[in-house]
Amino acid sequence: MSSGWINSFLKRVFGDIENPLTNQFSENRLRPPGAVEEKRFMALCIRCNRCLEVCPYGSIRRAGLGTTMGTPYVLPLEKACYLCMACCRLCPTGALDRRLSNPEAVAMGKARIDTSICYSHLFMDHDMLPENAGQKIGALCNTCYNVCPLPDKAIALKQNLFPVILDGCVGCGICVERCPTRPRRAINVIPAGMGRVDEAGFHFSKARKHFESTIGVEKDGTSGALKGEQLLEQKSLIDGAKDQPNFKFPYQVPKSIEGWD
Amino acid sequence: MYGPYRRTVQLIAFALMFAIPLLNLYEIYVVTGTFYAVNIGGLGIADPVVILQAIFASGELTVPLLGAALFPLFIALFFGRIWCGWMCPYHLLADAAGLLRRRFRGKGSRLARDERLVVADSFKANTWRYGFLAVGTLAAGAIGIPVLNYVSAPGILSTEAMILIKERLVSLEFSFIALLFLLELLVFPRFWCRLFCPTGAFIAVFRLPFTLGVGTSIRTPKMPCCKENRCSGACPMGLAPFREGNNLLCTNCGLCIDACRAAEGPGRLRFRGFQES
Repeated sequence: MSSGWINSFLKRVFGDIENPLTNQFSENRLRPPGAVEEKRFMALCIRCNRCLEVCPYGSIRRAGLGTTMGTPYVLPLEKACYLCMACCRLCPTGALDRRLSNPEAVAMGKARIDTSICYSHLFMDHDMLPENAGQKIGALCNTCYNVCPLPDKAIALKQNLFPVILDGCVGCGICVERCPTRPRRAINVIPAGMGRVDEAGFHFSKARKHFESTIGVEKDGTSGALKGEQLLEQKSLIDGAKDQPNFKFPYQVPKSIEGWD
Repeated sequence: MYGPYRRTVQLIAFALMFAIPLLNLYEIYVVTGTFYAVNIGGLGIADPVVILQAIFASGELTVPLLGAALFPLFIALFFGRIWCGWMCPYHLLADAAGLLRRRFRGKGSRLARDERLVVADSFKANTWRYGFLAVGTLAAGAIGIPVLNYVSAPGILSTEAMILIKERLVSLEFSFIALLFLLELLVFPRFWCRLFCPTGAFIAVFRLPFTLGVGTSIRTPKMPCCKENRCSGACPMGLAPFREGNNLLCTNCGLCIDACRAAEGPGRLRFRGFQES
């Protein structure tokens, strides 16, 4: 049964009315691995936060005020799930499937690549065209392929050049965490059971605010964080043939390493 | 004397709220969870009312669900509401509020008086409590969300302790506990445990004739046997222990027994099944 039996009884009496309390959490949040369908999850999860305690990576967070209050979720923008499967075993009510131990059987969601900002796709679609020769706005990045725990099952490099998502994707979000594009990630995970595909990366606006508040965009545009077109423009100026840029490293190179000869 | 033992157990349980996440931080997972549900070395213990709601909300009755609530119900069957009186962290806070009320009792004090319970009659208090439990459980069934979890004082306290240790922050839910504490202190003494707490209400359902309870050596007591009526004065739940030892409100805290020891009446209160030592 998807929601409460009393609810289904009410539905039989009053017709099919959407429950205002249950449909607002059905989207845009990645549940931990092994989570059952969202409405059933909300019914079964007793908010004991045992999954949160046992997570060795600190990936699982606790939802704040609202109807989902206290339930666990994963925000891959900040910390993805590393599929250690420690949380499923511990769930006391079966909101997380306790028999699940194979990372490949997880179905948290599906990754989706935004080809309009993915460096590899930009490289393929833009830089490779003869009329755009010399305008480098893309790059052969492929970070998502390199960090994927299930390479060639969940993600593959087409023509060995640009990443595509395969059916084996479990939605752990490691690619999202590592994706270098900012402020918006070029790869996002659509949570399982989510209605609207185009809402992937729901936390984008929140992440952007956070990004802007931490970096602080200068008004005159001379320093601070660059965004969007400006950033791409700036990046296209970097050329291996010209002077090498000077990077300041915040640490010193050690003269000798202890234990090494 | 049960008082010192009770306080020790209460403080241990309170410390456990902080110790569990601390152990987990050092990757020791022998004990995990909060007071909604803990797992001690493989033994799953979940708050029965939380399980009741999960059953109502999801409309399914599965073995893991029932198994999680088995141990606490077993304890409740033999020892009554011993969780409330001896372990619950919120009960400890309520005790602290009681101590504060007594310490600062005076003419200028605006604190609530222990004697002025908001619904003094035990039958009315029970009706109120079970009404709240029933409404909450039915609401959980209707909207498919275990709503009583949002107001489970021991669970929230324990979760707050966990996120304080783990993420070094206090969430908004703590304001609920703060509100309850202030209300206890200033307006309605003991109102949460007596009138609302769903956990306490549900585990009291399993009180059977053989369950641990307070009895008196007098056969059919109608009146308190000492002039001062010490046992009734000591009871934090507002019961008259000389005749209501078996009430659903009784948490087996033993305060009335300790008070009776100091009294000079002919009767003696004791836990039934325990010889007076």
